[in-house]
Amino acid sequence: MKVQKLFQKTLFGIFMLFGLIGISTSMLAIYTVDSQLTEEYESNAKGVAKTIADSSVDIILNRDLSALQSLIDQFVEIQGISYIYIINDSGEYLAHTFVPGIPEEILRGEGHGAESVRRSLPGMGDFVEVSSPILAGVAGRVYIGMDTGLVALKIQRAIGQQVYLFSTIFVIGIIAAIWLVNLAARPVANLLAYAVELARDQSGETDNGVLVRDDEVGQLARLFQYISGTGDLPASARPSPTSPA
Amino acid sequence: MRRMTRRAALGAGVGGALVLPWSLSRAASGDAAGFTDTEIILGMSAAFSGPSRGLGIELYRGAYAYFNHINRAGGIGGRKIVLRTYDDGYQPNPSVENTVKLILKDRVFALFGYVGTPTVTRVLPLLKKFQNEKTFLFFPFTGAQPQRQPPYGEFAFNLRASYRQETEGLVDNFVSVGRKRIGMFYQADAYGRSGWAGVRRALRKYDLKIVGEATYRRGQKFTSVMRRQAQILKNARADAVICIGAYAACAAFLRDAVDNGLRVPIANLSFVGSENLLKLIAESQDEPRRYTELLVNSQVVPSYEDASIPAIREYRELMQRYNPQPPRELLKEAYAPFAHSFVSLEGFLDAKLMVEILRRMGDSPERGKLESAVFSVKDFDLGVGVPVTFSTDRRQGLDRVYYTVVDGGRFVPLDDWKGRF
Repeated sequence: MKVQKLFQKTLFGIFMLFGLIGISTSMLAIYTVDSQLTEEYESNAKGVAKTIADSSVDIILNRDLSALQSLIDQFVEIQGISYIYIINDSGEYLAHTFVPGIPEEILRGEGHGAESVRRSLPGMGDFVEVSSPILAGVAGRVYIGMDTGLVALKIQRAIGQQVYLFSTIFVIGIIAAIWLVNLAARPVANLLAYAVELARDQSGETDNGVLVRDDEVGQLARLFQYISGTGDLPASARPSPTSPA
Repeated sequence: MRRMTRRAALGAGVGGALVLPWSLSRAASGDAAGFTDTEIILGMSAAFSGPSRGLGIELYRGAYAYFNHINRAGGIGGRKIVLRTYDDGYQPNPSVENTVKLILKDRVFALFGYVGTPTVTRVLPLLKKFQNEKTFLFFPFTGAQPQRQPPYGEFAFNLRASYRQETEGLVDNFVSVGRKRIGMFYQADAYGRSGWAGVRRALRKYDLKIVGEATYRRGQKFTSVMRRQAQILKNARADAVICIGAYAACAAFLRDAVDNGLRVPIANLSFVGSENLLKLIAESQDEPRRYTELLVNSQVVPSYEDASIPAIREYRELMQRYNPQPPRELLKEAYAPFAHSFVSLEGFLDAKLMVEILRRMGDSPERGKLESAVFSVKDFDLGVGVPVTFSTDRRQGLDRVYYTVVDGGRFVPLDDWKGRF
């Protein structure tokens, strides 16, 4: 399908507009999904951390640590929670879910005490770590690591769906635009052909159907015919009775 | 022999009921209480599938040998003992589901021979929930604390020594031979934490700390690679390692530790399943001795090789006579049973004490009378050379811990720690 030169810029404009809409909506979606999911994850993690912290008091003070481990093992099954560890007031790790061991970064105590911190653990991934104090912190703290990779995955999925939808609309839109542009361009091409033929053959007998059209193309064709001296002045070109002389 | 099979709901795996050779007719009068005029029904949820299936199967085989023996001799007051079994694969959720089924649907008289800490710790709240049913848990195959102390201790009775006692014994002995840099390899769950807490507590007596720790996820097979764990403990310069795990993972760790130059004593608790561990090493390595010469396993029952002990003689005789097989309905993978093992011996002793308790209830067994029947056990001779006593403040029958090492391809008692390590 050949696009007339006259309308190539129009098509290019449509293409650019689509691109601009696509990129801007994708960026907005990434930002919205990322910030909302991260916020939601952090909020959920804080809730879980507080629940564990509240439940841990009795276990730490009165019971065996296997009960504490059993408690955190149940929470670590929740999607998005990658690890949980509990430190007592003297910095001892009372229970954790790390395999094959507690990462060095965490053993060094980096970020301990902060309510929320971002961690990148080699071989494990990137995490948002939130914490909650046990007995106002005098009995220790519960730490929960949420996998930000999961957030990234969800963003990818959301953007992927959006790009898929957008691409489909884009392709359909471009095909429709080309068809419509060509539909509009065909009478102009016929008019051009008629004008060329008229210039070559002054008889005015050449007619490819444009003379019978009642639109602007038909009027122009008839005007060309008049100018070439082979036809009457088109009615639309005649002065109206009310027009100034 | 008639066996009942039933499909375990809720993904708990195939459930089955091993029934000793008698029909399962129920008298309406006793149905709700877990017994009929002809039967007393006990419920067991244990690992019969997965990498730890050897533990459930061996415990079951030992218990079966004794129950079968009693049933053939007429049962207890004319009632046969029926052991209804379900597979939990050593996973907490199926264990909980199986227990609900055993209590509410099967209406068992008591729960018996559960396997594992992560499973039992999750089941204990159920016993509290159904405390009006008076369904007690008898002799679980775990030495963890939750079923030995409040708030759930009152719903369980233990025969074996605790992990706290096992780990304390190991630490005391290691320290006595100058090995004070103790590292730990443990299962990342309640069982591992229970052992970890025991070691930590024992080391505190000497003002020592665990020098390094490495973990693994429950359900690992012998083919799992444990090099990173071995490296962690090597980097920590541990001069002894205490493992809290099941046989497949602990055998994998032993293999990778030795292969990576961690030449220190490696200890396991009774739960590990010593014979299964040894078998994996022996079958996979050209020089098994290189891997087992520094191995030491604690046990909560005496050596089954010691025929001077009456209960051992009885155990060996009945195991040979009945040659108990794993419950066929629950088996998903092939399993070659051992002629004798520490786990089946423990199951055997569990069954023996269970029978004694049921006998003490007389002709009218009722769940409500179970506790008082248990508490009536005073200085009872189980045949292991140590009297068994229960009371309101003592819900564990035995306290003794035994230590074994590998010599001549089998586990034998360890008498001389200094000479060995």
